[in-house]
Amino acid sequence: MFERRRSKRTIFALATLAAGALAVTAIPAQAFNVHTTDGVTPTTIKLGITIPLTGSAAPGYNKIPAAMIAYFNYVNDNGGVNGRKIQLVVKDDAYLPTLAVAKTNELILKDKVFAVIGALGTANHIAVSKSVNLGRRGVPDLFLNTGFSGFADAKKYPTTFSLFPSYIMEAKIMGQYLKDKFPGKKLGLIYQADDFGTDALAGFKQAGTNFAVKVSYASGSQSAQTAAGWVSKLKTAGAEVVVMFGVTTASGAALATSAALGYKAQWILGSVGGDATTLKAVGVPAVVLTGAIGASFLPAPTDTSDPYVAFFQGINTKYNGGAVFDNNVLVGMNTAMMTVQALRAAGSNPTQKGLVAALESKGSTFASAGLAPLNYAKGVHVGYNGYWFGSYNSSGELKPVGGDYSVYTTDSGAGAIVKSTYVRPALPANGLPTN
Amino acid sequence: MRNFLGHSSRRLKAAIAFPLIGLALFLLSNRVDELRVYQGANVAVFVVAIISIILLTGYSGQISLGHGALMAVGAYAAVLSQIYWHLPVILTFFVAVLAAAGFGAILGSAAGRLTGPYLAGTTLALAVGLPSLANQFGFLGGEQGLNYDVGLPPAWLGADFTQYKWFFWISGLAALIITWLSFNLLGSHYGRNWRALRSNPTAAALMGIHVGRSKVLAFTVSSGLAGLAGALLAMTISLVTPSAFPTSLSFSIVTGAVLAGVTLLTGSIVGAVVLVAIPEITGALATHLGGSEKVTSNLPGLLTSVLLIVAVLLFPNGPQAIMKRTRKSSQ
Repeated sequence: MFERRRSKRTIFALATLAAGALAVTAIPAQAFNVHTTDGVTPTTIKLGITIPLTGSAAPGYNKIPAAMIAYFNYVNDNGGVNGRKIQLVVKDDAYLPTLAVAKTNELILKDKVFAVIGALGTANHIAVSKSVNLGRRGVPDLFLNTGFSGFADAKKYPTTFSLFPSYIMEAKIMGQYLKDKFPGKKLGLIYQADDFGTDALAGFKQAGTNFAVKVSYASGSQSAQTAAGWVSKLKTAGAEVVVMFGVTTASGAALATSAALGYKAQWILGSVGGDATTLKAVGVPAVVLTGAIGASFLPAPTDTSDPYVAFFQGINTKYNGGAVFDNNVLVGMNTAMMTVQALRAAGSNPTQKGLVAALESKGSTFASAGLAPLNYAKGVHVGYNGYWFGSYNSSGELKPVGGDYSVYTTDSGAGAIVKSTYVRPALPANGLPTN
Repeated sequence: MRNFLGHSSRRLKAAIAFPLIGLALFLLSNRVDELRVYQGANVAVFVVAIISIILLTGYSGQISLGHGALMAVGAYAAVLSQIYWHLPVILTFFVAVLAAAGFGAILGSAAGRLTGPYLAGTTLALAVGLPSLANQFGFLGGEQGLNYDVGLPPAWLGADFTQYKWFFWISGLAALIITWLSFNLLGSHYGRNWRALRSNPTAAALMGIHVGRSKVLAFTVSSGLAGLAGALLAMTISLVTPSAFPTSLSFSIVTGAVLAGVTLLTGSIVGAVVLVAIPEITGALATHLGGSEKVTSNLPGLLTSVLLIVAVLLFPNGPQAIMKRTRKSSQ
């Protein structure tokens, strides 16, 4: 009796299931998925970014989104882009590839952003490209905050546009600088044990730089304890000039620890880990930083004679609550200004395809604070290609070696390193692009 | 005789039900938003992980807080077999199962001698320590991880067939097969042995059940399933990295199993849906409260823990047991 009731119930359940399945197929697919251009309404454009706001790599980089929003708000207050206000959805990935994938998924599938702007981190973004596959989805992936050379492959990453010169370019130019300024010195290198570091090694190899000692660290492992290990290796090898090619928290740990252990060397900081205010914030005494050499493709954030810097400092006071104006803020605002130009170039009814095409055709003419040229063209998705070198003074300002910015440019291959004669476009009136 | 017939009709029903459920899921995946499809893939991954805990804790009575680490073993085995042996994707899943089961067999032999908090502690240590080993050995790829690529969906499925739907199909099929196999395994004499063991090991031993061997077997099977779940999880993010297997993952799947009702196989879907829904709920909550990113990133862990405590206090046998009870009392 009981058995029969049970089997009746099972049959009823199966029948319901089958009927339900049939009902679902009967509903037209459109009912679930009304497709318009993602992220664009008559009054708004929604963009997204994933970046470390918490975790070991966060200090410094966590200032970038607020700086971008500050500039976007300034543009929004002045009519937006073709009447549309720009919104930026910010997600914290804690510099972990797993979280970067999850958060980019949220941006694309839940927030339905028009484009991803300024995503940070080489390993993170490689994972995102594989899994979320922005290229296959046709989602523009603009102005990455990484210089990994792999992203230059426009066939593999058709919608991805880098902003920074590649790490290979940086290492090549740095290698040439070492050859010119420190001939015969014993050289040391600290680099991150992932594709960020692999690029650096490739660049130095291309430049023919021979290091007496190379120290690698696992991403996220940087601390005073691990840095003591790096310093002892450098000390044993007798390195006189040390290149620090890592994130800012790693540079900070290396500088602070070597000072504490009484190890003196001429430090050369890569652009990724050379922001003075962040280094101070993570505990590097000003005296340790003084005399160190840094590289940048933007003007020094303390150089108020630069019209772009002066303008962005004004925006920073008015729209960013007067945050300490450093390289991160400058990068954020510069990225935002280029984004506005890209959106304008995509026309009054922007599409994702149109945005990619606009960057390829007009991206090289955009006004930006960068002192190296922008190289965007059909199939060329890498922005800047050059660096200048400076020396940190006692108040942490990066002052160009030799007094004025002399930018050297190169490529990620075997190309020569040449002194640039590029003159960037003037700052648009009131900092509002009219392209 | 009647018992035998009853048994075979149960299997027959299962044989009809599982393909039907599969068909329903397949049809559904064509109709919903891609976000839901992706979440569906995650639900399927958690179903497999939760079943591995149900087998272990609900049936053989052993506790593991280290299943996240076993998932990592499976995932690394899968990706390494793909990179070094160039195995087809389907075979890498089997490698994941075998590697994790082998690891589980060794661990289980040690674990069989431990009970209660000691076993929990040992497995917890594994969850904390094991995944970070990847940072020590270069060939494991460090924090950047190793790319685990199951490839694009086959072309004959059409251009509109998204990557996430492909993930959902693979993990959904795996979850269905695992549920069906576990359903049969637990109905067999192994399942009965484990239940006897869980209720009273001494009595079970007197009945002629080899306690140690049964425990190790349960641990091995459970580990194999965890390994598969790990490989599937890695598939959904196309990456194997230590941060994909944090300590909190082990707690999450135990919470999922408790919510499922640790003895109820069909409850696994409840637990899995809750686990996938938690970040969604906390996200909405954080937006509502206007909290900072720090709040948002810690809220899911908090909610998972609260749910675990509430579930253990209010319905230790799972919400389904409560429904059963109210149904019985109303009859």
